[in-house]
Amino acid sequence: MLPPAAVYQFPWELNSGSEQEGDSVRTFGKWVTCLLTQYDPEKSLATLSTHHSSKHHCVIVHTLFVEPFDAVTGAQYIVLGELENIEGKSVGVMVRARVLNCVDGANIALLQRAINDQRRFLEERKPAVKGGD
Amino acid sequence: MFCSLGEETPFVLWGLDPIFSAYARLYIRDILQMTESTQVPGVYFYNSHPIYKVDVLGIVVYKRERDDFFCYGVDDSTGVINCLCWKNDLLKEASLTGGTGGAQGGFDPVAEMRKLQRAQQSRCCVEIEELLRVRGSVKTTRQQREISASVFYKVDDPVMAVQISWMMEVPELYRQCYDKPLQLQSNTSDASVSSISKAATIIRDFLNQKSVAKFRPYDVQELLQPLILSQLKTTPGVQLLQLLKEALQTLQDEGFIYRKVKSQDEVYSVTGQDKELVIAVKDVIREDSKREKFAEKGCHVLHILSAVRQRYSLNLSKTALELVLKSLECNSDIISCSDSHYTML
Repeated sequence: MLPPAAVYQFPWELNSGSEQEGDSVRTFGKWVTCLLTQYDPEKSLATLSTHHSSKHHCVIVHTLFVEPFDAVTGAQYIVLGELENIEGKSVGVMVRARVLNCVDGANIALLQRAINDQRRFLEERKPAVKGGD
Repeated sequence: MFCSLGEETPFVLWGLDPIFSAYARLYIRDILQMTESTQVPGVYFYNSHPIYKVDVLGIVVYKRERDDFFCYGVDDSTGVINCLCWKNDLLKEASLTGGTGGAQGGFDPVAEMRKLQRAQQSRCCVEIEELLRVRGSVKTTRQQREISASVFYKVDDPVMAVQISWMMEVPELYRQCYDKPLQLQSNTSDASVSSISKAATIIRDFLNQKSVAKFRPYDVQELLQPLILSQLKTTPGVQLLQLLKEALQTLQDEGFIYRKVKSQDEVYSVTGQDKELVIAVKDVIREDSKREKFAEKGCHVLHILSAVRQRYSLNLSKTALELVLKSLECNSDIISCSDSHYTML
């Protein structure tokens, strides 16, 4: 009955192919409407973008489950949902959002550090405690 | 001693673990994977720490409302757990008793109270997507682990400050508390020492109460059974005998009991109840204080000891003799001339 846990993934990791279709993830990014896909309420598709090591990374978000909401261009959002592959286009993966929260003003650098801290900790004790990530 | 890996800590010792009485901030994954205690259902073990209440923070990803409670699925990115959040009776009543109270412009406690309740109510109605903090006890119903909330509220976290600080705090808590083995290991010697002194007290009280003069170990063995029962039941016989032996040794060291004759038959005499011993000590002091050598200063304890040993029991300990001398002095049968010299009145 309960959905699986949504693990933190950085936007730039989603396109690397290490995640499988159907995995639950949570990630973040700036709301943009000018890249790749414009926010189109009929198609319920939006794009979150981040800048990481001098590259732009985009995550396409399917927003059907979280509508209606206020889209603020340029604001930070955090999205939680399942990964899906998009057929045809070579734009990588799409997240079908279950949760979409505006977190504009959040300290993203600190969030990254917190995510890394948590990961490192879970990684460190993996031999002792069995369990997937 | 009894705290080896893979075995549960005996429940009497759980209270010594500070984590036991705290709301543990564990990852939901760990809460789901903790093993339940075989001694007391409803208590779980994380890393040999007994835990029954937890503190979690996560995004609500599932919600179901029942008449009496909400059921929220909370996701902290390591796992998802059901949280049973009971509806507050106060809140239900508050909506019914709405119309009373008149604001006279000043401070109106009733209105303020209602405002507070409304605020509380709004904090307790959480929707999917929102951040929820739950403190409560861990339960397992129908093989599903869940948290029965004692406190729960919506957390306003528009810039993720709460979530970020939580994420940074929890690993630190794990390193400093939860992942450290239970410190009882180092205290086991103390624990066994205290159980010996407890056992000694039990035996002493029993002997005093019943005015026992002589006994054999198996006469008092059963008295110590309650001390053993609370510990692991693997080899109770051996443990009991060991404890008994140590307790008797303690009493012997104190001089409270002694063995008149060292033989196969382990008979202990209670020093205070041994009339013959008292007479023997009195005789020695009476006779020897007449002797010229002791007339002035009285008899030295060691002299009395060796004389009584020759006359009465080779096994008499100095502490036992001192006990007898003390009681004789209390009865004014003898007096002490100095620290260690006694004479007859």
